[in-house]
Amino acid sequence: MAARTMIHVAANDLRSVDVARGKEMAAVGSYSQVCRVAACNGLHLEEQSGRGRLVATKPVLIRRRGVACGVRASVVPLSNGAPTTAKTAQAALILIRHGESLWNSKNLFTGCVDVPLSEQGVNEAIEAGKRISHIPVDMIFTSALIRAQMTAMLAMTQHRRQKVPVILHNESERAEAWSRIFSTDTEEQVIPVVTAWELNERMYGELQGLNKKETADKFGKDKVHEWRRSYDIPPPNGESLEMCAERAVAYFKDKVVPEIEAGRNVMIAAHGNSLRSIIMYLDKLTSQEVIELELSTGIPMLYTFKGNRFLRRGSPVGPTVAGVYALTEDLARYRDQLDSRAWS
Amino acid sequence: HGIHVFWSTVDAALILIRHGESLWNSKNLFTGCVDVPLSEKGVNEAIEAGKRISDIPVDIIFTSALIRAQMTAMLAMTQHRRQKVPVILHNESERAKAWSRIFSTDTDDQVIPVVTAWELNERMYGELQGLNKKETADKFGQDKVREWRRSYDVPPPNGESLEMCAERAVAYFKEKVVPELDAGKNVLIAAHGNSLRSIIMYLDKLTSQEVIELELSTGIPMLYTLKKTGFHRRGSPVGPTVAGVYALTEDLARYRDQLDSKS
Repeated sequence: MAARTMIHVAANDLRSVDVARGKEMAAVGSYSQVCRVAACNGLHLEEQSGRGRLVATKPVLIRRRGVACGVRASVVPLSNGAPTTAKTAQAALILIRHGESLWNSKNLFTGCVDVPLSEQGVNEAIEAGKRISHIPVDMIFTSALIRAQMTAMLAMTQHRRQKVPVILHNESERAEAWSRIFSTDTEEQVIPVVTAWELNERMYGELQGLNKKETADKFGKDKVHEWRRSYDIPPPNGESLEMCAERAVAYFKDKVVPEIEAGRNVMIAAHGNSLRSIIMYLDKLTSQEVIELELSTGIPMLYTFKGNRFLRRGSPVGPTVAGVYALTEDLARYRDQLDSRAWS
Repeated sequence: HGIHVFWSTVDAALILIRHGESLWNSKNLFTGCVDVPLSEKGVNEAIEAGKRISDIPVDIIFTSALIRAQMTAMLAMTQHRRQKVPVILHNESERAKAWSRIFSTDTDDQVIPVVTAWELNERMYGELQGLNKKETADKFGQDKVREWRRSYDVPPPNGESLEMCAERAVAYFKEKVVPELDAGKNVLIAAHGNSLRSIIMYLDKLTSQEVIELELSTGIPMLYTLKKTGFHRRGSPVGPTVAGVYALTEDLARYRDQLDSKS
């Protein structure tokens, strides 16, 4: 289809801010181009529904003198209606477990103590960033702990795209007012970063800060082993893996899934237990399987959301061996596909 | 230990580090309190800064509420020689406080508490935040913008003047930081151009004219020592209208020699 002769608003000039202001934009380009740009901007093409608030148009083939030369589609912001499951909805979900912290190297139970990355952990984050540098990221979720936040920010220093992560602040009226951006152009180039305690590492209660020997002396090796390896037995004043999973998965379903369904590419930078909880949900694992699941640090795990399902793009080596989500091959294939479609 | 022998001649050290390049600096956008992270260059600047202070004891760290200052502190501390570990304190809610508790006194002794405070944030630039230099000139006029940037007490629309920034930064410094120094604790503050020059204005008793002309280098730590006679600056700006380089390399090198020779 030769869309080149058309003079309309090109698909690449679509701006989410105009749609948010209530304007109905006509976008012209090839069908896949319009779909891609709409998805990248958090917009959605919807099938004609005739259902009240859902404003929808099927992409319309434009003909000049009987010759098809382009596609016109109306695009509307998804926030106006329920999340749709349009056939074009496709989004990436990247999970990154942070690398070595300053207490890992000392073999101390960390849990929710807010310890930063070691130099090795910093390098792991940068390496992780290189692996995902081509995968579009529209939104980032991290825990409330600095080691996950740093991992996300360090990884994004390697990202190819020009968008800039900006942490959202809503802990107080002042914080919200003080972080406002006054340029719509700039705002469009922002990747919102949401921090959430629900994505924190499992809280280890009275084990936090103890080394392995101290805990064995204080509680006995068997008890400690049970707390670490069971699904539903919490250490004193701490969380079981089940409790951690409850709040992590609830958050994921409540806050993250709607973004993915809206076609936004999401990155989550978090911790071993909060991430395996989410993977348990995505891959429908049993409690026994999740206990045996080990996540590599610093190696991104990729899922694609397509046809209303999450598809894992990597698999663990084995249940009792450290699962290596080494997506190098898959990622290389993605990169080829991305380059050939000229996503950037 | 050699370090303690040397440091008994001073009561406490105060290190100030201005964070390096952020992702909006490279795009020339007014940042203010928008929470933008460091660029790769800013990350390297923080690590370099850490190398310069790796021998100076640090007992407590204060940062702003913005990630670029917090990252600067944490990256700098990856280079620190001592075994103590920075740990960010959480008291935004009962849950946060309870969840961050440490249950080993040995471990607790090896902790460097990190306090985050919005009072140490960059000056809030109001309606300039997110605009580039051209947009602001177009929207407000170049003279107005220059006045907001270079005056002491004229705030941009819905923003802070340097005076307002100084008011909350210095109040915080006096109330929360000075007691630590008085107690003999060595303090590191990782913050921003305007909040740090406000504190320096207080430490060096600068006039409002002098503080406007003060430029702080990024990533180069500024060292003060607190003695009974007051705060002593260990570096001086090159000149009022030239970017002041608190290049403590020579002083720091001398310190390092003394530390090494005494250990």
